[in-house]
Amino acid sequence: MARDILIMNNLDGGYEVFIGGKRRVFVHAVDNVSLTLRDSEVLGIAGESGCGKSTLAKMIYGAIVPPLLVRSGSIFLYTRDGNVVELNRLSIEEVRKKIWWLEMSYIPQNSMNVLNPLKRIKDQFINVFKYHNMEMDKNEVMRHLKDILSSLSLPPEVINAYPHQLSGGMRQRVVIALSLLFNPRIVIADEPTTAVDVVTQRIILSLIREWRENSKSSLMLISHDMSVHAYMDDRVAVMYAGNIVEVGNVFDVFKEPLHPYTRALIESLIRKGDKTIRKGLAGQPPDLVNPPPGCRFHPRCPFAMDICRREEPPAVSLGKDRYVKCWLYASKR
Amino acid sequence: MSINNSLIIENLTKLYGYGLLGLKKFKVLDSISLNIDLEKPKIVVLAGETGSGKTTLLRVIMGVVKPDSGRVMYKGYDVHRLKGSMVRWYRREVQPIFQDPYETFNPLRRIDSYFRDTVRNICGIRNGDEIERRIDEALRFVGLSLDRISGKYPHEFSGGELQRISIARALLTNPKILLADEPVSMLDATLRVNILNILKYLKEKLNMVIIYVTHDLSTAYYIGDYIAVMYRGTLVEYGPTSKVYQEPKHPYTYALLESILEPDPALREKYPLIKPSALEIKEFLIYGCRYASRCPYAKDVCFRKLPPFIEIDGEYVRCWRYTNYKE
Repeated sequence: MARDILIMNNLDGGYEVFIGGKRRVFVHAVDNVSLTLRDSEVLGIAGESGCGKSTLAKMIYGAIVPPLLVRSGSIFLYTRDGNVVELNRLSIEEVRKKIWWLEMSYIPQNSMNVLNPLKRIKDQFINVFKYHNMEMDKNEVMRHLKDILSSLSLPPEVINAYPHQLSGGMRQRVVIALSLLFNPRIVIADEPTTAVDVVTQRIILSLIREWRENSKSSLMLISHDMSVHAYMDDRVAVMYAGNIVEVGNVFDVFKEPLHPYTRALIESLIRKGDKTIRKGLAGQPPDLVNPPPGCRFHPRCPFAMDICRREEPPAVSLGKDRYVKCWLYASKR
Repeated sequence: MSINNSLIIENLTKLYGYGLLGLKKFKVLDSISLNIDLEKPKIVVLAGETGSGKTTLLRVIMGVVKPDSGRVMYKGYDVHRLKGSMVRWYRREVQPIFQDPYETFNPLRRIDSYFRDTVRNICGIRNGDEIERRIDEALRFVGLSLDRISGKYPHEFSGGELQRISIARALLTNPKILLADEPVSMLDATLRVNILNILKYLKEKLNMVIIYVTHDLSTAYYIGDYIAVMYRGTLVEYGPTSKVYQEPKHPYTYALLESILEPDPALREKYPLIKPSALEIKEFLIYGCRYASRCPYAKDVCFRKLPPFIEIDGEYVRCWRYTNYKE
């Protein structure tokens, strides 16, 4: 069995917001999340907008700037040279120099808009080299860059272009190339294909897949789009209102969703060439400032019982690699 | 199909300027022709990628954007030359629903004030009880009621509710055509289906034509009776949805349908890895077919001349492959 390389224990955090400068409100976006990422696997994080997927990614990556606040929990990373580092104990400087780009890299949401608009593509790459104190001959850098770009099927002229001269799909590929520059072992991709059309989406996913097959790295893929998960993932974790409600092998989860929320989510998906009437869920996701007591899904759940309204359900292990956070399964143990 | 009961789009072209002073022009919409008869209720989907001109086309139909050439005829009247009370008549007949329900409403205004204004100004009803009856009736269609919305502000509703409210507002004037611009793209998957089902129900119940803009082809199939596929400002294919999905005629439609990922991991091996090509804005500037530089069947003529829009058993397609053009 593949080794765990990133272990998250009881992560808990959210956003601290002050209303009118006085009243403190805590948006509890990630609530007691435990998850592991294994060597060379694709772990998908699925969930609707506002369920805490991106917050979880930021916490793992260590990009914690106010108002984001981590209240408790720990993240362990097995580095390339075999050491174990507790990520949340490191200072931001250490994380920047030793972890980011080298061990772990992050493809941000909206990645087509993260390039510096005033810098040519080649300078953006050179900056990254400089930051990591890599002395490289300029010609060598250029040659290396052209190799990278051609592997992404971008024409070599791109290195002299400014970001606005490229199309959205091209910029996205440049950002992906940047984040894979030092061949990191873990890549966290936050909605890498949301803002692009279907054809470009296929191209970008193909690219990530190809890279992963060659490099044997681990990928944490965050997306609200269940078809992306079906296409890419080995394992998938479904989030709802800050909780991970179900984790399992992607084939099992799609075939036999256990948690009532996952079931509703999968049933509401529209498939190509299918006109049968589908049903959605009534109600709306809860307010994270004031989440409902007990199970956060209970107001919308068709199977809600008394205990669901009072107590938070435990994570029940059902078979290999399968966890469900639901009272329906707690008794069967 | 009679002229007096159809929406006819004739040779519509719209230019947008670009560059420093906007003096250089490109065609956002290029010779678009489409006939939609209003006899039977139906949902016509305008599908295409971002920047294909689908929203612009919708705005031209709505009458808020003027075309540079060509015209839109609604029941025999040119939409962009209406005067006086006819403008208000057209506003009653054709109503929009926008993409983002949170931006549709002013956060500082109460929701019901929108309803009252619409009834008063566009329908011309002054009687208080009559206004309330009308509003309540419209809200019942989407599963809400006047009691539930009166006095409330937009932030008191969820996205799904707001979108239902904005559909109800559009229904107030008893429109013949609803123009829906990606009404579900801002909503969560579990709520999305509910809105789609409401639109399907309204179409039958109120005998309406809904023009539905989307980039999501799975939704397009679920909801649409007819589909118009757009690419870089041109309409490349138009026909009944099931027919277009079963045998797409235009190479672009084919590529698009092949690219849809299905939410089923068992099918993942079906999709081969594909290589990117350098996509260019220049495609807008090509004189011939916009898809020519990416099309596997491209011939010389495709780069030089825009293909004609031809009819093949009930479907329309804009492609040189289906003509008997000889080089």
